[in-house]
Amino acid sequence: MQISSKFEGSHATLSLAGRFDFHSHRDFRNAYEKVLEEVRAKEVEVNFSDVDYLDSSALGMLLLLKEKSDAAGKSVVLSSPRGAVRQVLDIANFGKLFKIVE
Amino acid sequence: MSAAPEMNLKILIADDSPTNRKQLETVVRHLGHVPILACDGQEAVDKFRDESPDLVFMDVMMPGMDGMTAVKHIRAMQGSKWSPIVFFSALDRMQDMVRGLEEGGDDYVVKPASLQLLRAKINGYARLLSLQKMNYQYTEELENWRDEARTQVRLGAHVMARLTDADGLRDSLVRYFNIPTDAFSGDLLCARRAPDEVLHVMLADAAGHGLSAALAALPITQIFYSMTAKGFPIASIAEELNRRLKAILPADLFVAATLAAVDVRSQTVEVWNGGNPDALFMNTAGEITMRWPSRHPPLGILPEAVFSGLTETIGFHEPGDLVMCSDGLVEAEDPADVWFGLEGVARVFAQTPHTEGQRFVALRTAVLDHMAERPNRDDLSCMMVSLPVERRQAVRFSAKSAAVYQGPVSDWRLELSYGETELRYLDVVPHVLGFISQVQILKAHQGALFLILTELFNNALDHGLLGLDSSIKSSENGFELFLQERAQRLAQLQDGRIELSFLLHQDGNQSLLDLSVTDTGPGFDFQGTLAAELQEDNDHRPYGRGLRLLRNLCAELRYYGMGNKVWARYVLSEACVAADSALPESAPA
Repeated sequence: MQISSKFEGSHATLSLAGRFDFHSHRDFRNAYEKVLEEVRAKEVEVNFSDVDYLDSSALGMLLLLKEKSDAAGKSVVLSSPRGAVRQVLDIANFGKLFKIVE
Repeated sequence: MSAAPEMNLKILIADDSPTNRKQLETVVRHLGHVPILACDGQEAVDKFRDESPDLVFMDVMMPGMDGMTAVKHIRAMQGSKWSPIVFFSALDRMQDMVRGLEEGGDDYVVKPASLQLLRAKINGYARLLSLQKMNYQYTEELENWRDEARTQVRLGAHVMARLTDADGLRDSLVRYFNIPTDAFSGDLLCARRAPDEVLHVMLADAAGHGLSAALAALPITQIFYSMTAKGFPIASIAEELNRRLKAILPADLFVAATLAAVDVRSQTVEVWNGGNPDALFMNTAGEITMRWPSRHPPLGILPEAVFSGLTETIGFHEPGDLVMCSDGLVEAEDPADVWFGLEGVARVFAQTPHTEGQRFVALRTAVLDHMAERPNRDDLSCMMVSLPVERRQAVRFSAKSAAVYQGPVSDWRLELSYGETELRYLDVVPHVLGFISQVQILKAHQGALFLILTELFNNALDHGLLGLDSSIKSSENGFELFLQERAQRLAQLQDGRIELSFLLHQDGNQSLLDLSVTDTGPGFDFQGTLAAELQEDNDHRPYGRGLRLLRNLCAELRYYGMGNKVWARYVLSEACVAADSALPESAPA
C-alpha cells in the first residue's frame, strides 16, 4: 500500500492507495505518527478513494489511530470509501465510531 | 564496512619455502591474526582439519602433496563454514590461475607479492569474514526464533482445540466447518443449550489471524458457556463479552461476533450481530426469508456505557436453517479474485435439496471449489442450525448426573423481592437460578426449574405489571412488536414489584419445592383464561403454550387473589429411601 500525507493548516490528509491490510502495519504507523507529532494538525483525514481492500487488521489500525488522536486532541475523519471498503466499514458499524464522509 | 567488528583470524600458511612462510607469517602477526604453518600439502590438510582456520594461503608447487590436491581434500571435508583459500604461487600464467580457481580456490596471488598487497588482501578477507559471521549469527537466531514460534503454535493449537471442542457443538441441530489460514483459527464456534433447552450458538471472528487472533478469542468461550448454562439471555452475554474484551484487549484488537438463541419450543430465533456478515434464515425451498445484518460494532471496541445488546427476534412458521459465517467465507476468492459472497451461499441453497445435512456439505464443497486450492487469506468458518417445526413439543432435559443427592431434605426457604429499578436491568431468572441451584437437590432439576420460573416470572412481569397482550405475537413481525412494546413499558414502569418465594420441604417420602410468584399489578381473569386454555388446541399459536407447559411440569398450579399470585408445587423425588434399599447389597465396583 502507498501512503502520502499532506498538511493544510489544521487539516492533515493521509491518502492511501492499494490494499490496506496486515502488511501495511509499519507504513501506516509511520505515516500517522508523523501527523500526530504535527502540532497544528487538528483534524486527521484518512482518504480511501484509492483503496480497494480493507481487512480486519486495517480496522484495528484505524482504531489505534483514533485512540492516539483522541489522546492528542485531534479528530479523525474517514473519507471516500468505495465498494468493498465501504462494505467492510459498514459491517463493522464504524459509522458509530468515526465520522465518515463521501 | 566499518560496522563489522574486529576479528582475530586463524590463518593457515602452506608453503615449502621458509622465506615465503616467514614473509606471510610476519604480515599476519603484524595485523593481529594467528598464523598456522604447514610445509607441504599433506600437513596443510592435517592442520586444516585440526585447527579449522578462517583463511588459507596455499602454495601450488610443494613436495609430496601439491597445493591443488590439498585444496581438493580441504573442500571435501569442509562443513557449513566457508574458509576462503588464496593460492599464493610463482606460477603466473593465465591457465595456472584459472585452474587454481577451478580447483576450489577463491583467489590467486602471484609471487612475489608486495607487503602492501598481502596486507590489503588479508584486511579485505577479514571484513568479508566478519560480515559472514554476523550473517551466520542472524541465521542461527532466526532458526531459534522459528523453532520457538513452532513450539508456541503447537501449544496454541492444542489449547484452542481443547477450548473450542465442546459437547454443545455435537448438538443434533448444529453443523459447522472452520478452515483456518494458520495452524489454528481466530474464528471460534460455540454452541450450548441453556437450562430451558434453548440453543445458544456463537460464531466469533477475532481481528487478524494466527496466534494473536486466537488469543483475543480465547476468553470469550468460557464466558459464553458459563453464562448460557446459567440461563442468561444472549443480550447479557454479548454485553459481558464486550466488557471483558474491552478490558483486556489493546485498541487494535476486537472480535466480530454473531450470537443466536434458537428456541424450537416457541419457534423463535433471536440474533445479536456485531461485525459479522448477515446471518440468514433459509427456508426449505432455499430462499432467504430473513437477514440479520450487523447492527453493532464488533466486541471489545465500545465502552460499557454506549454498548448495545439489542437483539432482533423473529418467530418462524416454516422449517429452515439459520446460517452464520465469518467474513472469510464471504471474501473467499476464486483465481480471478471474485468473492464467494453471501450470494454464493444463497446459490448453493437454491440448488441443493433440503435433506439431512446435504446443503451443509454442498456449501463446504462449493467454497473449496471456488477457491480452487488457493490458500484462504482469512480464517473461514460457517455454522448452520436446523430449525425444525415440531407439532409435538415434549420438553426434554439432559440426563441427570447419578451422584446427586436425592433427599430427604430439611426445610429450606428463600424469599426475594424485586422493585421496578432492578426489574429494568437484572436478568431476574438466571439471577434467582444462581441462588437456588446451590442447593444440591435442586441443582439436578435446574432445567425444569428454569422453565417454570421463566414462565411464572414472565407472566408476572409481561402481563401482571406491564399489561402486555400476547396476541400481538401472532401478527406480522409480532415478536419484534411485542418485544418493542415490552421494552417501552418496562422503561416507563413505576411502582411495580415482583416477589418470589421458594420452600423446599419433605412430605412423607416426597421431596417438594413450592414456588410462588406475586406481582403488584391489577391481576387478570384467570378463571376465564384457564378454561379457554383447557378447551382450545392452541398449538398453532405462537403464544399461550406456557400454561400447559407449567401444568405438565408441576404437580399443582393455583392462582390466588385477582390472579396476581400464583403458586406451584414441583416434585423433586419420590420414594428415594425405598430406591436406596432396593440396591443389591454388593454392587460391582
